[in-house]
Amino acid sequence: MAQNLVELCAILIENHLGDLAAQIFTTLAEHGRLSAPTLAAHANIPLIRTYTGLATLLEEQLVLHHAAEEDAPTYYSVSWRNAYNLVRHINVVSLVIERHGEAAGQVVKNILQLGHARVGDLTDAYNLAPGSKRDSGVETGAHHVPEAVMVNGAAKSQATSNQRVTSASELHSILRTLLRFGILVKVGTRTLMPIADLQEQLQEAVIVDQFPDRKVTGPKKAKEFALAVNELKRKWRRDDAFSNNSDASSRGAIKRPGEHFNPNKRPKLNGIKPNGHVINVDCEPLVSKLSLDLIVRVDFMRCSLGLRSQRLQKLAKRLLGSATGAVYGALLQALEDKVCSVRGESDESAKDDAEKVLPSADLSQIAELLDPNIDLGSSIRGVGTSKRLPNGTGTNGKRKHAIDNEFAEIGIKPEISESEDDEPTTNGLSSYRNHAKRVKMIEAHLLLLQEHSKEFCKRARAGSTSTEWGVDFETLTDGLIQAELDTTIVARFGSTHLRVVRLLRERGKLEEKQVASFAMTRIKDVRAVLTELQSESLAEAQELPKDNQRQPSRTTYLWYFDPQRAQSLILQQTYKAMARTLQRIPVERERFRTIIEKAERTDIKGQEQEKLETHERQLLREWREIEERLLTQVSRMDEVVMILRDCSGRDVSLAT
Amino acid sequence: MAIPAKLSDECDALYTQLLAAATNSEEGLKKVFFQNDIQHLLTDTAKSANNLLPVLQELQNHGLIRASRLQGAMCWSTRPRGAAEHIQKLSTNERALYEYVEDAHTKGIWMKDLKRRSGIEEGKVQKAMAKLEGARLLKVIRNVRAPAQKTYMLFHLVPSDDVTGGSFFDAGDLDESLIEEVANLIVFHVRMSSWVEQKVPRSQPQHSIEGEGDTVAGAESDAKKRKRTADIEDSAPARKHRSRREDRDMIMTQLAWPANSHEYPSASNIHDFVTTSDVIRASKAQQLSVAEIQGVIDVLIWDDKLERVGSGYRTVRGVSFRPPGFVDEDQEDEDGEGEGNGLTQAPCGRCPVFDLCGQGGPVNAGNCEYFTEWLRHGA
Repeated sequence: MAQNLVELCAILIENHLGDLAAQIFTTLAEHGRLSAPTLAAHANIPLIRTYTGLATLLEEQLVLHHAAEEDAPTYYSVSWRNAYNLVRHINVVSLVIERHGEAAGQVVKNILQLGHARVGDLTDAYNLAPGSKRDSGVETGAHHVPEAVMVNGAAKSQATSNQRVTSASELHSILRTLLRFGILVKVGTRTLMPIADLQEQLQEAVIVDQFPDRKVTGPKKAKEFALAVNELKRKWRRDDAFSNNSDASSRGAIKRPGEHFNPNKRPKLNGIKPNGHVINVDCEPLVSKLSLDLIVRVDFMRCSLGLRSQRLQKLAKRLLGSATGAVYGALLQALEDKVCSVRGESDESAKDDAEKVLPSADLSQIAELLDPNIDLGSSIRGVGTSKRLPNGTGTNGKRKHAIDNEFAEIGIKPEISESEDDEPTTNGLSSYRNHAKRVKMIEAHLLLLQEHSKEFCKRARAGSTSTEWGVDFETLTDGLIQAELDTTIVARFGSTHLRVVRLLRERGKLEEKQVASFAMTRIKDVRAVLTELQSESLAEAQELPKDNQRQPSRTTYLWYFDPQRAQSLILQQTYKAMARTLQRIPVERERFRTIIEKAERTDIKGQEQEKLETHERQLLREWREIEERLLTQVSRMDEVVMILRDCSGRDVSLAT
Repeated sequence: MAIPAKLSDECDALYTQLLAAATNSEEGLKKVFFQNDIQHLLTDTAKSANNLLPVLQELQNHGLIRASRLQGAMCWSTRPRGAAEHIQKLSTNERALYEYVEDAHTKGIWMKDLKRRSGIEEGKVQKAMAKLEGARLLKVIRNVRAPAQKTYMLFHLVPSDDVTGGSFFDAGDLDESLIEEVANLIVFHVRMSSWVEQKVPRSQPQHSIEGEGDTVAGAESDAKKRKRTADIEDSAPARKHRSRREDRDMIMTQLAWPANSHEYPSASNIHDFVTTSDVIRASKAQQLSVAEIQGVIDVLIWDDKLERVGSGYRTVRGVSFRPPGFVDEDQEDEDGEGEGNGLTQAPCGRCPVFDLCGQGGPVNAGNCEYFTEWLRHGA
């Protein structure tokens, strides 16, 4: 495993869980799977401390463990993905806040800090349910409020967090929503098992079950075997998934006197939100409670899906305008539920169909998800003028770009009220017509997206006029990766380099002269560009000697660009840059040490305003700005990693 | 070679005719005449093949025409009168060399090839070529493909695109400013028909918005439903806009055409525009081919200025053309994030010593100057 990632993960764990955990992690990362005694020996840590460290790591799911049999020694190995994910917490929380509101963000943040949590413990932590003992989970969380990993004063919000979720039913409904959207998943018994072991166990189970003679070779048998294994895999996955029946404890409503929803919450929920009967807890007091023993964790896979949607939406917005971007965002969100992993349904099943079946969503679903405040008609010329849209709400009376308070003038008013209440309040006919018009406009935006050369979306069934729209995520994700590489290249070198890279990517292997003529650049300049790219390993040259002597003068060089290579190169560089940026924090802290120490004195803490001098406060602010700046940069780099590594789903560098 | 007697009138007449025909034709002096063509040109006297032969022979002796073979048939092409005079004074070697160069026509011929083909020894070739050049029969041109090689061509010919590298080369050198101008022109042209320019209320100040109401009203005029009137009232009166403009400033925004309803300019459209726009020197404009324009378009696509839509092109949203004499500043997206991504914005993303950087190494996160600078600038 790459050195850069080890370094980064070690720093993250050190910040998150302390020295001991980091040391154990690094040892495990260097040596691969180890049993606890060997690990202790390698790490030079007493066995008992090793166990403590492993327990902390296990709690955060940073280490996987597996024992082949009941009495066999347990082997530990690192979970790269989870270790790296420590850095993604901020992005995940902001995603959840954007989609599901502040309160949900708070809950997710807490669960992230804990690694995984029992619903009962969460309830306790929020002081919502009387009785039950406070379990370790939540408290460790309180201790481990990371100093560095959380941006924007995670610690501060920790203190206030309990105020945000005000009722048990609210907590439960939030958890339920998050579970439904797959942001939280149930932690099953197999979650902490290394994938290879899991596969082995699967195969073993299938063999015992269906192949008593233990013969699984030969074309026919092998196929059957593979099929059976996948079948079982899916079954296990289903078993581990959260289900309403097995995980709900009581269907009864939780009602307590004087417990009312917080009315402030409502306006915050803007329309990007799944139009929610789930979030609208407030309105429906009957929320079935989750089993208190349910253990949940955050599913980063699903979160990367969400983050990917955000990126795609942003791209669409840049290329086609904000209204179209918003429509696209709604489509993507509607599709998220239907896409299981970043790469669509698991590879096994997808391979069978020659024709890719795209996940698709219906126009009316999109209409539901779309923020009603977005002025759809304004950004496409003459959309509202079509004959089927009689009264021209969208006729761009004055094509305002977005969200204005002037909808009334253009006649969008009835529509707003309609969407806000989720059911038509105006009289039937006009609201129906408004809805149809809105759908029509959405379709116009989707057509625009389809027309674009990136082909952001397409009709689920080609050629028809069906209202189902799908997105070819695979191609688009590749496009995103490509765009990310391009951005990096252009920012680092300049537009001529980008031009050369793109033309090499498009036209394949080319000679210097061809490159020059395609790029319309002087051959001298092209030569410099190519050499520079080569020294950065972004372009490569293939030698084609004209004779046996292989003299450079008698050799043709064909230049080409290897996207895979560039991708992994930039990924590694990003890891390294993240590690450096995190390492810089203690360096900066040293500079401000006196003032930080002073500010943290118990008699001053909390009353900085009164007890510190002006210049001291100034210094403190400066330090906080610097820290925040560095951390923000890390999370921005995480976005790069997300695009380059996690979106494609093909990257196997973190297979463990 | 003996200097032949003075040219007969008959021959002179034919030559004049041929020369005129050649100059009038598209190919110019490259134009070849087959026997039929010549017989067609000639009047009564020399119609028959028997009469024709001596006439042609005489012209050939005078160096006024040269014979060659095309697809198995004899054919002749004309030479300028001045060149013919010179040719007659040439030695055999020189004449042979001249003919090689002549054969190469607008492609030109390398010195090396000349030596090899003629089999004449090197010193003599160089001497002969120098003489021919001095007599203004040949000229040396620069071939873009092989700038180091000496390439010869007949004095009166214009080198072909293959040799010059096309319209974008100026004396064997890439004419970058021309490319830039053409590219800018293309962006200007394509942008006009890519998006509907619209002014909407925003924070930035913009000037007049007149005419907007009209367009809208015009666009809507074919729809006729009850709410219609209200909309026009909403949009049309400039007065209303103006009053609002005072409160709020307007900004230019680009509205999309509905999908599949708009025809975006294709490469040949763009070519038409560029060549007829009077922006480029007429002789250059004539030379520009659609393929060359396509090349510029490709470059613009690689530069993220244009994007392909269906069979045409449109500008990428937010791209604007550069008015003459204006320093180009790439417009970024509305989020104002500027260029780059998380990696390249961090000091590490552009660090020249990134590979050396490591804990305990000569460069590390602690002593990094770039970080210091980066943090100072932000704070």
